[in-house]
Amino acid sequence: MSRFYARGSDSETSGSSSEEEGPITKPIVQPTVYLSEDEEEQTSKRIVRSARDKRFEEMHTLVRKIKNFRKNNDMSNILDCYEDLTKAHQKALPIILKEEKGATPIFYLRILAQLELYVNQQWENKKSMSKINSKSLATLRQKLRKYNKDFEDDLAKYRDNPELLDEDDEEEEKDVDDDDDDSDSEPEVKEKKASKEKGAKKIAKTDGDDESDDSYWGSDSDESSSSSDENEYTDIRQRFLKKAGDGEQEESKTKKQKEREQRKKDLAKSKADREQEDEDELGTWEIVKGGVQAERPKMFQKDQEINIPVVMKKLVEIIAVRGKKGTDRKEQIELLVELETIAKDNNLGSAVAVKIGFAIVAAIFDYSLKVHEIQKVQYWIKLLDKVNEMLTLSISCKDTLTIDENIAEDSEELEKTPYKVRGCLMTIFERLDEEFLKVLKELDSHSFEYLERVQDEKKICEMLDRLLAYLETSHLVNDKGVMCRAYYKKIEHMYYKFDVRVLKKKRGEYKGETSVDDILRLAGYVYAKDTTDRLRTRAILCHIYHHAMHDNWFEARDLILMSHLQEVIHHSDPATQIMYNRAMVQLGICAFRHENIQDAHNALTDLMMSGRVKELLAQGLMPQHRHDRSPEQEKIERSRQVPFHMQLNLDVIECVYLASAMLIEVPYLAEHEFDAKRRPISKTFYHQLRTLEKQSLTGPPESMREHVVAAARAMKKGDWQKCYNCLVNEKMDKKVWHCFAIYEYTKNDEKIGVKEMLRRKIREESLRTYLFTYSHVYDSVSLPRLAGMYDMEYDQVHSVVAKMIINQELMASMDEPSKTIVLHRTEPTRLQSVLLQVSDKINILRETSDRNFETKIQGGPGTLGPGGKGRQFNRMDWKNRRNQNQNRQNQHHNRGDRGDNRGDRGDRGDNRGDRGDRGDRGDRGDYRGNRGDRGNRDRDGQQQQQQQAVEQ
Amino acid sequence: MAQYDLTGKIGQYLDRHLVAPLLEFLVAQNIYSANDVLQSKLSLLTETKMVDYAIDVFKKLHSDQEVPQKFLDKRQKVVEDYKAVQETSKSIQQILEDPGLAEQISNSRDYRQLVEYLVKNHEFKPERIDSIYDDAKLYYECGDYQTASQLLNLHNELVPTTDKNYLSGLWGKLACNILLHQWDYGMEDFEKLKTYIDEDPFRNSLQTLQQRTWLLHWGLYLYFNHAKGWDFLLDLLSNNAKYLNVIQTTCPHILRYWATAVIISKHNRHSTAMKELVQVIQQESYTYKDPITEFIECLHVNFDFDGAQKKLKECETVLSNDFFLISCYNEFIDHARLMIFETFCRIHQCISIGMLAEKLDMTTDDAERWIVNLIRNARLDAKLDSKLGHVVMGVHAVSPYQQIIGKTEFLSMRSQILANSVARKLGDKSSYVRM
Repeated sequence: MSRFYARGSDSETSGSSSEEEGPITKPIVQPTVYLSEDEEEQTSKRIVRSARDKRFEEMHTLVRKIKNFRKNNDMSNILDCYEDLTKAHQKALPIILKEEKGATPIFYLRILAQLELYVNQQWENKKSMSKINSKSLATLRQKLRKYNKDFEDDLAKYRDNPELLDEDDEEEEKDVDDDDDDSDSEPEVKEKKASKEKGAKKIAKTDGDDESDDSYWGSDSDESSSSSDENEYTDIRQRFLKKAGDGEQEESKTKKQKEREQRKKDLAKSKADREQEDEDELGTWEIVKGGVQAERPKMFQKDQEINIPVVMKKLVEIIAVRGKKGTDRKEQIELLVELETIAKDNNLGSAVAVKIGFAIVAAIFDYSLKVHEIQKVQYWIKLLDKVNEMLTLSISCKDTLTIDENIAEDSEELEKTPYKVRGCLMTIFERLDEEFLKVLKELDSHSFEYLERVQDEKKICEMLDRLLAYLETSHLVNDKGVMCRAYYKKIEHMYYKFDVRVLKKKRGEYKGETSVDDILRLAGYVYAKDTTDRLRTRAILCHIYHHAMHDNWFEARDLILMSHLQEVIHHSDPATQIMYNRAMVQLGICAFRHENIQDAHNALTDLMMSGRVKELLAQGLMPQHRHDRSPEQEKIERSRQVPFHMQLNLDVIECVYLASAMLIEVPYLAEHEFDAKRRPISKTFYHQLRTLEKQSLTGPPESMREHVVAAARAMKKGDWQKCYNCLVNEKMDKKVWHCFAIYEYTKNDEKIGVKEMLRRKIREESLRTYLFTYSHVYDSVSLPRLAGMYDMEYDQVHSVVAKMIINQELMASMDEPSKTIVLHRTEPTRLQSVLLQVSDKINILRETSDRNFETKIQGGPGTLGPGGKGRQFNRMDWKNRRNQNQNRQNQHHNRGDRGDNRGDRGDRGDNRGDRGDRGDRGDRGDYRGNRGDRGNRDRDGQQQQQQQAVEQ
Repeated sequence: MAQYDLTGKIGQYLDRHLVAPLLEFLVAQNIYSANDVLQSKLSLLTETKMVDYAIDVFKKLHSDQEVPQKFLDKRQKVVEDYKAVQETSKSIQQILEDPGLAEQISNSRDYRQLVEYLVKNHEFKPERIDSIYDDAKLYYECGDYQTASQLLNLHNELVPTTDKNYLSGLWGKLACNILLHQWDYGMEDFEKLKTYIDEDPFRNSLQTLQQRTWLLHWGLYLYFNHAKGWDFLLDLLSNNAKYLNVIQTTCPHILRYWATAVIISKHNRHSTAMKELVQVIQQESYTYKDPITEFIECLHVNFDFDGAQKKLKECETVLSNDFFLISCYNEFIDHARLMIFETFCRIHQCISIGMLAEKLDMTTDDAERWIVNLIRNARLDAKLDSKLGHVVMGVHAVSPYQQIIGKTEFLSMRSQILANSVARKLGDKSSYVRM
């Protein structure tokens, strides 16, 4: 506050130097002690003096600053100050010409010379500096060289005889300093500052309430940075001041002087204290601060008539500094809040309140960029309340107040109804929401604070509802862009929340609107009206997610199929891709519940194959092996994380995936046990299964994965009961299946739910596996016996077997009168089956050699080899491909293991992962590079496999 | 049976005149109360200009009441209009009666030439082209489809495909031909419309979708009346994502007709068409279901023959109450039965005739005769065991020897080709080196 104060008065009283330096303390009504004519004289004198002094003073402070920064080697600040200094010199030139007869002030010369020396010294150890510093140093050096040429003569003189001039200068400086109120203690102050900078730099910066500091510390930078802005206001305000409180001013001046004297004493005292002990310094801090606070509520002159233009001017003045260097953001907020109270006290109307509100919210947003995490929460609460307040305000005066982005700044109407204010509530809300996510992300997701913050979600939703109601009735209802954004926000806040009513409605226990209907309505609007495509995509994904979560499998499936998102999602931004991944997971789980095992597997396989589920769902970072993340990258990734309360249960995802993979893979394995061309459907599952099989001793399953794998092993033997028990038991209930409990219900005394589904499915697939595995030991199998074994109805068994026969999976036919399956021997003897395999392998060999021949002979660089399938490779690609081929073959020979083949598909999955989670342009470029090779890599894989087959 | 009646659903995609025969059919079926049907028929007709027809229906409905004045007024007006148009279109009538016209139409390269010809020989004014269309519309609305069709034919030849009335003219022609039972001409129009829509002149997927939906529905008259209609429907839908999309998004009830067509069609019964159909039926099972689709599902997804049998019975009633399908009732039943039997045979080695008769809903003797006929026509590789009353299928397991032979017989040929090409390549290279 005090800093602003100093600044305000700086400009206010540009004529009087006395006000300029001291931190200005406006007297709180006190009886005037004396009012002499002396005073008048003084002021007039000062005005005369000040032209020179003011300039010089400015330069002096800058010089001091440079000296200070030099101690810290803070190059960038030196550069800034240097630039300000040259500017100040430029301004002072006319005066110098007039009063000093064109002689450059000595202290100026001195600082230039010193700087040059300093820069040259620093130049040598430039390498040890930080990037920013060395950059600034280089700039400074260049500028200094150029600039110093103008003063070549003077500088030469100075260099020849530095002492003499120095002395002179010292004296002069003293002179100047004597004019300053504080400068008698200048050396001490310097010292103090130096120590402070080392010790409590932060305090000085954020809480820079120290008076003595302010005189050349805070206010200076303000002056230099905003002097141009303020000058215009200065005049106006001066005029105003003259009118309103001439007498007052004088009064205050005398008082000020008195107070200044008083404070000088204080300062002297405190300085003495400070020198003694550091702790004391803190003590004095507080005392001084207390004084400042008392001064605070004096934004305007006491009797000044407060009306809209004045307040607006003040507002503009405050905002003008926004975003500039050295602006104290916190102070800005406080100023604005104060301004708001003043405006409110004076009944300036809602438009002004809204206008200031916008400014405050913007200021808080600015502030929160820099603020430390812990303080963030505090600011978040402030922000939430403020936005809420503004919303209430805008709603309450909806009829008279128009808020629109498209109103030009100068066509705002603040004084008469209908008010017009520039701004957009929706934008503010969006930022609020962003801020909310940020706050959540920075809290520990298991802490109490997090819990507390998450409760704000309710408030936000409520605000959003009000905002929507407001928008729907305001003129903005025709602005499709804004409405789409608003509706999308609403969807975004709804889609991940579970609404039990939906399920109840489906079972006929509830009638009425549910969240599904709401989302349909909102999303419908977005689909129809959105023009950005991004919002539409995201709305669709939310819609899919919501449907899938509420068990609306067909709707969710149709939406994803109709939107054709799968084809284009790779081109969208990472946030949308994350959303897509989330929606796909939900869809997969929903498909699983609906017994569409194949669909569930397909939806999840891309994600699981990458092995980086966590990252792709933005639910945590994983250590990366291949390339290290740069800190910035990590920061970006961190900022994309989904807040904890929206996260999906990874265990459930993996379990669903593995279970569906099991249901598909195990019968497939059994069917193609001797098939040379067999390829695992789900690599992840296959891998799990193999690792378990490799173990010499297998204990009872512990983790979720072990349970599934144990179940798969049981299924391999056709033991459905054990398989089911492995998959569904108490442990697994706690880990996974409890998440599905909500979808379970009983209908006509029949339980319907995931467990029942699994039971049914496991029996069926076990039966199939059994038939595949053991059919060669039977001549005929009795159907009723099978039905008994698998606890199934006869008709079901019949249907399963019939399906297998029709699809030619099982070489058999049924004998209707005896109700048996008669198996036709296809590989009756060992010799014959071996022969069949040999013939298969010969065929494969032939195919391989054909292909080799084609690629070697015809698929040369730049030609369209039949193996290339018409794709043209350029020379580079071709070379790469060769290398890869060789590498791959080497690998293959070294290990000679079937597991090798995992390479190609795994790679592809990884690529997708890259795309999904990083997706910046560079990576995408890389990816495209890879894709060029992909086709051929696949083929390599095939070839190898075939070769292996032959070798076997 | 009302639950399976699709008249309401189909009606919304048809022209009023096209719905009239549907309603007439419904009157005869006694599914709905006769009064309701008549009432809807009346409201249908009041919007057209077939006032006499409307008055008839009104009299049937309210035999005790006088015909309201508004009908009479309207009749008066329509008659006047009709006469006026007849008067003005006399010149056109003359053109139509010109024996050289047909020849000219087939000879002229495009519409401009034809217009020139008419201007030269019949003092035809090119401005009159639009009014030909309007006249045709009036004739159509009055129920004079013959004249309307003629006029539209002419109009169609006289305008470019970009004309604003071109598309409506085509639709009008199709409607006329359907109502006149000229299926061959109808088919031509249908094709024209289809190509026109496929070119996508609307640049608006919603409109295209709508046009395609109409086309599918209007086509119903053709599919089941034209001699080659079923094949036509199959061609339209199989491997044609455009029309499959239409079915899935707007009118899943068309699945009934598609399923019927697949069952009746003579060839490629178990091939791709069926697979595709089964897939779509499964996908859409939540939006549309009727006994015919369920029958297919039972047979081809669940292999539940008893279920299929039950569904087939239901199908009979559905078919007999469907305006479009009633004509192919017998064929459908035959083919469906055969389908059950064939599928049954494919998974069985030995079937007792008694059970088969039960499944096929026949007496044992009939079933036996039926099977004997099948065997005789070489559609079935089987033998009857009359002692046990079994049908024994021929075993078609392939012996391993044959398998190996099958797998290896082309090897020598292939390796020869390879050797040849290697030799050629080597030859090339050596010649290259020599050069």
